[in-house]
Amino acid sequence: MQMYEEQKSSCPVKVPVECRFSPYTDNGGTTLAIAGDDFCVIAGDTRQSEGYSINSRYAPKVYQLSNGSVLATGGMYADGVTLVKMIEQRLEWYRHAHDKQMSSGALAQMLSTILYHKRMFPYYVWNTLGGLDEDGKGAVYSYDPVGSYEKQKWNCSGSAGHLIQPFLDNQIGFTHQKEKAPLTLERVVQVTKDAFTSATERDIYTGDNLEMFLVTQNGIEKTRVELKKD
Amino acid sequence: MEALFGITGKGFVLTASDTTMARSIVIMKHGEDKSRVLNKNTLMMYTGEAGDTVQFAEYVQRNVQLYGIRNGVPLSAHATASYTRRELAKALRTRNPYHVNLLIAGTDPKTETPELYWLDHMASMVKMPFAAQGYASYFCMSTMDRYWKPDMTLEEAKALMQKCIDELKIRFIASLPQFTIKIVDKDGIRDVQL
Amino acid sequence: MAMKGKNCVAIAADRRFGVQLMTLSTDFQKIFEINPRTYIGLPGLATDVQTLSELFRFKTNLYKLREERDISPKTFSHMVSSTLYEKRFGNYFCEPVIAGIEKDGSPYICSMDLLGCINHAKDFVVSGTASSQMYGTAEGLWEPELEPEELFETIAQAMMSAVDRDASSGWGVIVHVITQDGVMTKTLKARMD
Repeated sequence: MQMYEEQKSSCPVKVPVECRFSPYTDNGGTTLAIAGDDFCVIAGDTRQSEGYSINSRYAPKVYQLSNGSVLATGGMYADGVTLVKMIEQRLEWYRHAHDKQMSSGALAQMLSTILYHKRMFPYYVWNTLGGLDEDGKGAVYSYDPVGSYEKQKWNCSGSAGHLIQPFLDNQIGFTHQKEKAPLTLERVVQVTKDAFTSATERDIYTGDNLEMFLVTQNGIEKTRVELKKD
Repeated sequence: MEALFGITGKGFVLTASDTTMARSIVIMKHGEDKSRVLNKNTLMMYTGEAGDTVQFAEYVQRNVQLYGIRNGVPLSAHATASYTRRELAKALRTRNPYHVNLLIAGTDPKTETPELYWLDHMASMVKMPFAAQGYASYFCMSTMDRYWKPDMTLEEAKALMQKCIDELKIRFIASLPQFTIKIVDKDGIRDVQL
Repeated sequence: MAMKGKNCVAIAADRRFGVQLMTLSTDFQKIFEINPRTYIGLPGLATDVQTLSELFRFKTNLYKLREERDISPKTFSHMVSSTLYEKRFGNYFCEPVIAGIEKDGSPYICSMDLLGCINHAKDFVVSGTASSQMYGTAEGLWEPELEPEELFETIAQAMMSAVDRDASSGWGVIVHVITQDGVMTKTLKARMD
């Protein structure tokens, strides 16, 4: 990064020096969310990187929100942190105004508006929101940085998104398969682990730890699995 | 803005080529036949850079003719297309590649199997049941996808060709007022009217 | 994409031919038989796919006439490598994948970049526009010592799920499973969009 630099020269004429600063960086990492009938699994690796260097081996980018939803943020870490702060503040205001927790559907719509409000200077974050809807069914919403969103059954985005998404289509969506195994929490957890260990083999930005949030009617369970650190 | 079509049917290939010679925004000539007869049962249609097209088509034409004279057996459509592809591919990696896009239509006089080959200036060759070359392909491949079926009669093929040309008249910005329609079958190559 | 199994290998490709976003043909051949125990997949610029397939047919025929035997997959991959590197400046736009069974019955796979740098892998190799998708599916589905039927199912699932997530691949998949006894070829119907 090069900040403004004064031209030091004996020449009386000032030569304009071009200075550039990019407010964006990509901190890599992969996030994943899968919705089941009565549960939802949201996961992300914990590596934070910049170019070829690793900043941290444990910098979680999946956040448990105060309304019982879980938000996975990929892309630029700093924007992710800021965004989560914003959301938490809005959730608190909602509680004060309405004396109840915001539903996951309402939060999904609100996140879209928050992102679109910064349409011309976006948060550089690919969000995936997971939780349970009002009927207790698993729900996954995925976003682009400017707030386009879609409700999905499963999603994987980030640096290994290209690798994992077709794998999920196959293992969770059972594309091209006759027999469809029931989607239990155990199976989803196993597929998630497999997906991340596989992605760690081929994607340099994914690795170190896998952090999973298992959302059920009984609450949220957070688990951590070690991934390869090379 | 040039357009070429080919549709295979039962024992024949029906071809169409527009007859406009344009340079920049000016139409230089109407009524140009953008095809060359390679041998009795094989027709080559071409679009592309003026000069290159006729030069290349006639070069291939004469070599295919020479093969027939030397061996006493005419070159099949597949062999012709492969030879043409090879010549284009060779030229592609020289200083002056041919900028020519082709359709090669042929019908085997003994088995009466129609064959249609699509070649572009990069020398990619694909055998297709129906084909279009140029902007026309954006408009008419879908039409042909919908209405083409195996073993079409000449009347059905003509009707489909008419649909394609009508589509261009409605949706395509350039006007292509006239087409040369030909049929390639076991008896040879003839002009037909739609 | 090519995969190793227990005394068998599999090679698979999609069947699309298109110019940019327009699909022109859905039965385009990208995998070519060199001999009953060696296959090559040539993804890349269509014209070079065809030029190279013809060139390798010529070269392997000549090899057979000289040596009175089929070329082994390993020897063939070095022939491919040299052929590509010969055009170091002004290259072919094609990244081949080779699969075969060696004379001693051991499976052989490799992939190459467009200049002919060979990559040997113990498990699988991928190449083409959907390569990152294939890495993901293959890495997740492949396991060692697969029997031919299992290998077929693995490569088929990996391939079909991968090409479904790539806009410029698909329109059917072809799979060859090569064993000592012969080759099993299957054409799979996939999403046509």
